[in-house]
Amino acid sequence: MVPVSDSTAAVGDSARTGGVADADERSAVSRTSQVVQQLKRNSASRVGLYVIGLVTVVALLTTIDADLFDYQFAATFWYHPENDPAGSTILLPPVGIENSFGTGTWAHPLGTDHRGRDVLVRLVYGTRIAVQVGLIATGIGMTIGTVVGAVSGYYGGWVDDVLQRFVESLYAIPFLILVIAIMSAFGKELGIAIVGVSITTIPVFTRLIRSQVLSVREMEYVEAAKAAGVRDRHIIFRHIIPNSFAPVLVQSTLQVGVNILIVASLSFLGFGVQPPTPSWGQMLAHSRQYMIVNPWFSIWPGLAILATVIGFNLLGDGLRDAIDPRSND
Amino acid sequence: MTTTGYIGRRLLQIVPVLLFVVTVTFVLINSIPGDPVRILVGPAADAAAIEAARAKYGLDQPLYVRYVRYLAAVATGDFGTSIHYGGVAVTEKIFERLPVTLLLLASSFTLAIGSAIPLGIFAAKNRNNGYDHLARVTSLIGVSTPSFWVGLLLIIVFAYYGDLLPPSGLIMPWADPASVDGATSRLDVLVTAASHLILPSITLGTLQMAAITRIERSSMLEVLNKDYVQLARAYGVSERTILRRQAFKNAQLPVLTVIGIQMTTALGGAVLTETVFNINGMGNLIITAVRAQDYQLIMGTTIFFAIVFVLGVLVVDVLYAVIDPRISYGGGAGE
Repeated sequence: MVPVSDSTAAVGDSARTGGVADADERSAVSRTSQVVQQLKRNSASRVGLYVIGLVTVVALLTTIDADLFDYQFAATFWYHPENDPAGSTILLPPVGIENSFGTGTWAHPLGTDHRGRDVLVRLVYGTRIAVQVGLIATGIGMTIGTVVGAVSGYYGGWVDDVLQRFVESLYAIPFLILVIAIMSAFGKELGIAIVGVSITTIPVFTRLIRSQVLSVREMEYVEAAKAAGVRDRHIIFRHIIPNSFAPVLVQSTLQVGVNILIVASLSFLGFGVQPPTPSWGQMLAHSRQYMIVNPWFSIWPGLAILATVIGFNLLGDGLRDAIDPRSND
Repeated sequence: MTTTGYIGRRLLQIVPVLLFVVTVTFVLINSIPGDPVRILVGPAADAAAIEAARAKYGLDQPLYVRYVRYLAAVATGDFGTSIHYGGVAVTEKIFERLPVTLLLLASSFTLAIGSAIPLGIFAAKNRNNGYDHLARVTSLIGVSTPSFWVGLLLIIVFAYYGDLLPPSGLIMPWADPASVDGATSRLDVLVTAASHLILPSITLGTLQMAAITRIERSSMLEVLNKDYVQLARAYGVSERTILRRQAFKNAQLPVLTVIGIQMTTALGGAVLTETVFNINGMGNLIITAVRAQDYQLIMGTTIFFAIVFVLGVLVVDVLYAVIDPRISYGGGAGE
């Protein structure tokens, strides 16, 4: 049996070298608190947390209270004066700025779109789609990818060969094209978009976990468990996967950002969630025709995507630094 | 194992991957609702004309027959014909569009690698001072920005407001001067081609540049902290020599991996960039194919992308082994 690592030992490898179950837990607790401490000290990851918190609250608010941000208005196809007591016009610029359609007012702080809809309200609703797809697709892809990677790495041999070829095939089709093909085949709906994006996420985690497992597999405690007749399933789910948790957590956080970018790209190409449901990529696609008359319309949705993705990247980088003190970022 | 043996083994591994890609694509494409033949012949055609067209493209056969036929055809390099483009061979269409996309990819990768590697090294050398922070913030923004948005902003600033560069299209540098607007000599063509290439290359290259800068910086930092570098410093070897002679080469392995990964993203990114700038390349071709439900064309382009990608990965892996002799070509689990 490997010597039990002291809870005050260096953060780096304590979880991997932990011998018996309760020692694992003990070092895991101290590790978690150390990671949290580290995160708190890092101002960049604090900013990331704030951004993610804000985006999540906004997305939740739109589901809890439909009247808070007038969803009907956000999702109407055409501008109807009765939908808009403020009496807006199309393509208004933000507050205080003037263009050929008029001067921006506080009734529409960020201006209006080509159908006279409030850009801010539509941005707020776009948050929901982005966060939903980003989080759920990453969750599904991570779960499947982790299991496939663990099984592949643990058993090796032909199981590994078959699963690796499968994963390489998924990798070989450019992910945007894969999702577009999936959505053309099964429908341009939110659920299908989530499935499509999760499929492109699987290989990322399979590779990550497989390489982790290859190093963990040879550890003495896994050998010991095998010798003691512990079932494979138990070894994979209770020992191997938990020990690879840290890099998976980091990768998941970063992957949410990547997936939000994929969803926006899909909507931009017209393969995402269909209008009138508002999404950031679709707003950008619409704005292309009005770039000269109202460039602001092209600026806001991009800023929303940028801010959200930066949030997840900052947190992901912060987590990596906190978990692996050797990294130099 | 020798290099040749390794390459041979890897080429063999490509076969099942491509077989899988063909199968997945075939199943997906045939699940698309709608009838391409009806789109082709138009609403006015009678039943006989529809059946004739269906038979002409082999679409009257059961699915498994079409699958086996398709596999056999692909194996001989025949990707079928495009319904949307009036029966032109898919391969012909691909090779017509391919140079455009390759030019775009080459130019954006040159831009990305050429700026990212010096920037990353510079940031690592000046760790934690102003330059480093600037490089880190810039690359963070770069990996977090949707590329098509960068394209839209560039068009607004440089094409519409600045009126400096064209907002759309791409001219091949080897095009005939007579076919290019306002060009009388080769030089004119080259200038026009370059001016069309700048904005799309920045659009496509931003993400690559940011990602490579990040990995170059952290990889250099890691190497610069290694014992042998510390020892060289202790012996009084200048920082410049250390960077050039010792650190640089050893820091490039992770960088190469990231460049390899960026290739997939770049192929997807080309679809977006070509859409933003109305460039008639492979990306535009695949989007047109999907919109027109041109089965053969969708499958052909997808499989072609997969072949390019798989071969690209192989090249990166071989380069990897060339740069780092410690990496064996063996088939062990640690591969």
